[in-house]
Amino acid sequence: MIEFNARAMLLIENPLNASPLSFPILECFHIVGFAFSVGTIALVDFRLLGWGMRRETPSQIAKDTFFWTLGGLILMVLSGLMLFSSDPDMYYLNYAFDLKMVFLVLAIVFNYTIHRKTAMSDAPTSGKLVACVSLGLWMCVIFGGIFIGFLNPTLDIHQI
Amino acid sequence: MLLSFALRIQATDFFTYLRGSGYVYPAILSLHMVAIAFFGGMILMTDMRLLGLAFTRRPVADLMDQLRVPKRYGFLLAATCGLLMLGCKAEEYYYNAFFRAKVALLILVVVHALAFRGSVYNRAAEFDRDGVPGRAKLAAALSLLLWIGIACMGRGIGYIEPPFGIHAQLFGFLHL
Repeated sequence: MIEFNARAMLLIENPLNASPLSFPILECFHIVGFAFSVGTIALVDFRLLGWGMRRETPSQIAKDTFFWTLGGLILMVLSGLMLFSSDPDMYYLNYAFDLKMVFLVLAIVFNYTIHRKTAMSDAPTSGKLVACVSLGLWMCVIFGGIFIGFLNPTLDIHQI
Repeated sequence: MLLSFALRIQATDFFTYLRGSGYVYPAILSLHMVAIAFFGGMILMTDMRLLGLAFTRRPVADLMDQLRVPKRYGFLLAATCGLLMLGCKAEEYYYNAFFRAKVALLILVVVHALAFRGSVYNRAAEFDRDGVPGRAKLAAALSLLLWIGIACMGRGIGYIEPPFGIHAQLFGFLHL
């Protein structure tokens, strides 16, 4: 019981947990953030697949969306870190969260290395494969994010 | 009448299975979010182009013409997943204030599309010749507000729990 109270006090110390509204509001920023970042990355991917903005070259789309992608990523990651801070124990012990983080790192690294190089080359040999990998990675990130809430929703560090 | 329809829908074998299915429901929700992530950017970038904040080196017509059809596929995916989730908990959604707000905003999206179709969305070539007029920027700003509002209301749906009926008391004047 004492442990439970200590944990409750620990949670209240985070000012984000003072209001029940802060979590859903942060989630809205998180959604808008990934709509901008993943949405602009997907524009490049669809073009690499020969779908969508075919009058532009992949490099034109990648260049013109560069700052929106980056801005969206920053908004997404910052709001995500704040969401994480609301209950770090739960996230730390949640397999969906672990997988999501692995896929997130892979997706971001892939985006700024192979994906970017492929889009900039404009005559990519493996454009379709790169686009599928990119879309697949982001899809895994999103599934991971949703499943956090459906996997062991009552998981508590003191049960371990 | 709507309530009895909602009760009938969620009592069907299909939605009863879906509701108790464990991981199928979150998979549908995930696909709903994938639709937002993959296709939401198309709406955002079209609006930002009209506002002069993205793709400024590319013609307005390139974004509006080329993204019109893909955006519809995206909406179809999001709406399909959305309707499946609605069917699972139709009664709960009926009483849910955020769901009502979301439906109201979706209706406003249709009104927006009809209101600006002739004056904005069929005139991209003209904008590329003479510049983007104020009414097109207004349409883009309203579109951004509506769609971001829809996403936020959608997120809010998950935060209202029964007791059933309380929202009917609060919003009873709507006579839905």
